[in-house]
Amino acid sequence: MNKNSINKGFRFWLAFYAGRFSVFLCRLFRLSGTSLPGAVALRICPQLLFYLASAYEKIIAVTGTNGKTTTTNLITYYLRQAGVPVIGNGEGANMITGVVTALIKDCNFFGAAQSRTVVLEVDEGSVGKILPAVKPDLIVVTNYFRDQLDRYSELDHIITLLRNTIDGLPETELLLNADDPLVVAVGRGRPAVRYYGVEVEKDCKEPEKNEIREGGFCPECGELLVYNYYHYGQLGDYRCTKCSFKRPEADFVALDVDDSDLLHFTLHVQNKNSSIDLHSQLRGFYNVYNILAASAAALIISIPEQSIEASLPDYSTATGRLEQFIYHGRLCTLALIKNPIGVNEVMKTILPQEGKKAFLIAINDLAGDGKDVSWLWDADFEKLNHPMISKVVCSGRRAAEMAVRLKYAGLATSKIVLEPGCRESLDVLGLQQVDQYYILASYTSLFNYAKLLRKMGKAVAKDADQGLPSLS
Amino acid sequence: MRIRVCHLYPDVLNLYGDRGNLLVFHRRAQWRGIELDVDQFLLGDRGDFSSYDFIFMGGGADSRRTLLLKNLEIIAPYIVDAVEKGTVLLAIGLGFQLLGRYIKTEDGDVMVGAGVFDAYTEMDSSRSVGDILLEATADLQEELKKAGNMDITTLIGFENHSGRTYLGEQGKALGRVIKGKGNNGKDRTEGAYYKNAFGTFLHGPVLAKNPHFADLLLVKALSPQEEISLEPLDDSLEILAHNTMKKRLIR
Ligand SMILES: [Zn+2]
Repeated sequence: MNKNSINKGFRFWLAFYAGRFSVFLCRLFRLSGTSLPGAVALRICPQLLFYLASAYEKIIAVTGTNGKTTTTNLITYYLRQAGVPVIGNGEGANMITGVVTALIKDCNFFGAAQSRTVVLEVDEGSVGKILPAVKPDLIVVTNYFRDQLDRYSELDHIITLLRNTIDGLPETELLLNADDPLVVAVGRGRPAVRYYGVEVEKDCKEPEKNEIREGGFCPECGELLVYNYYHYGQLGDYRCTKCSFKRPEADFVALDVDDSDLLHFTLHVQNKNSSIDLHSQLRGFYNVYNILAASAAALIISIPEQSIEASLPDYSTATGRLEQFIYHGRLCTLALIKNPIGVNEVMKTILPQEGKKAFLIAINDLAGDGKDVSWLWDADFEKLNHPMISKVVCSGRRAAEMAVRLKYAGLATSKIVLEPGCRESLDVLGLQQVDQYYILASYTSLFNYAKLLRKMGKAVAKDADQGLPSLS
Repeated sequence: MRIRVCHLYPDVLNLYGDRGNLLVFHRRAQWRGIELDVDQFLLGDRGDFSSYDFIFMGGGADSRRTLLLKNLEIIAPYIVDAVEKGTVLLAIGLGFQLLGRYIKTEDGDVMVGAGVFDAYTEMDSSRSVGDILLEATADLQEELKKAGNMDITTLIGFENHSGRTYLGEQGKALGRVIKGKGNNGKDRTEGAYYKNAFGTFLHGPVLAKNPHFADLLLVKALSPQEEISLEPLDDSLEILAHNTMKKRLIR
């Protein structure tokens, strides 16, 4: 899809240099600058993204509720390890301004793109603006959970938006999560759709009582779906009793998942009847989906199986996805929380770890966090009611409401500390005589804690910088 | 003492943390030595509600409206009957709209509701989203005061609903909107109540953010007719959370 020959007009160049100059100013004034330059440039030339994207050979877009950042970063990493010049954007920069900024930064002074491939994380609400302009070769959809509903109203709207958007992109291939009926609904009636899914024989589990199911309805006829098994949320092996809708056969299948510690599973590629053995530094069952989606996307764009198998073990997370620090001499894990499914999966991952624990939960309600924090009551915080957890410090703009949530989760009020300030709450956490600290932070508070922990403690070095966009 | 609770359609009406209301109700009963039995009433279930003290309906996605009304049609007379006899009911968001007289869609179709509340909803493209603060009506303030020991006259929540809901001539609002949109964004009314049935757009969950309101429902569920009083609890955390938000919203 090389559209290099497109004639760029005066407005393009004006916008481009205004964007470049804004990047320079942001660096000069030490601003984060992941969105501002794009916003400036787009004001001058609204079609800028179309022109910028036309310079690339291959464009992959990742959208959905959870797992976008990890999936995007991992695809980018696979490509880079395979020697493909690639760029991507990072979370918080997944709206049109962020995408434009990332592409402006990839250009040299004369406006020529330095990379050949782009991997874009696309906000669910921005697909209508971004996808038609970049015309991706491949769109990966992770899952649809309830997330920041004050911003996007309901899931149905998001899904309809994506469906309508891809109607205008007949050549784009789709890679969809077969286990999520809401995602599968996106691809109905399209020819070029491939699916990935997790098949776990022994894992035929009933959903936990406190878990949420929102997607359990047939997208064809509205009936409640029945399940052979669940993984989490509405993900699983489902079928409709009234019509023919059911989980499609997956082209990329995760088998023999071991999520007891660092993840390990077999990826089976149906059409080649081949299997690759995947070992990862990531934890948590939900990351199986991210690794599976990213590996499948890499295979679709012809990255060799051996390259994926060989490079995955060295991949570690970007900021906020269970990043680790040493703080007051103890291991301190920092995790982003933004919706109930995410909280439940993070807790399933960290609670089995040994030793006495103290938690800090930071909940803000700014636009980036979601202004409605009622989702805290859908998350399974009851799990924190555990003898090995001695204190939970609540902070952020909604610290008091978080504390109330914990009280009703059954925690003794003597275990709950209310300390809205960022620095102050971290001080209180540091006083706790335990083996490990855990910080669960909503989006806008995450950066503040990451910054402070780097200053007051130190980051646990993995393989330091992979050239991936960091969140801060 | 024992309260029998019916959770209506938890399989569909499960948005915005609303089931937290039952958790709050449960705990506040339990802390006073009152037992709770909760039955889930799912889509397609039939039966009457005469054995329940408290019926709860949460919020849900607008796209499930038709499916819900089809099911609700069958049981609506039993719900109305229970409310007439003094059964306590709390319906949030879509649940509240479904229990009104009717919902008129954007295409002009009229869908008949259960008719518990003298209220009706006209769907349009408007959506009311944000924190909301109300001053309870004088009558409700009186009731809140009698039921609890807290001196709070406001209700706080997070509203997130589409369309506009209006009260009929017999309809009584829960309160006057100080900050936010309320039923329709025009007349500053929020919610409705009739006998011991309460409808509201307040999520949050509403009972978590308003412990005094939770206690009012508890009192009524224990004794629909006579006035009784509850053992006071240490609500300093809940009151702090309520007042923190109130201060932010009034500012
Ligand atoms: Zn069906």
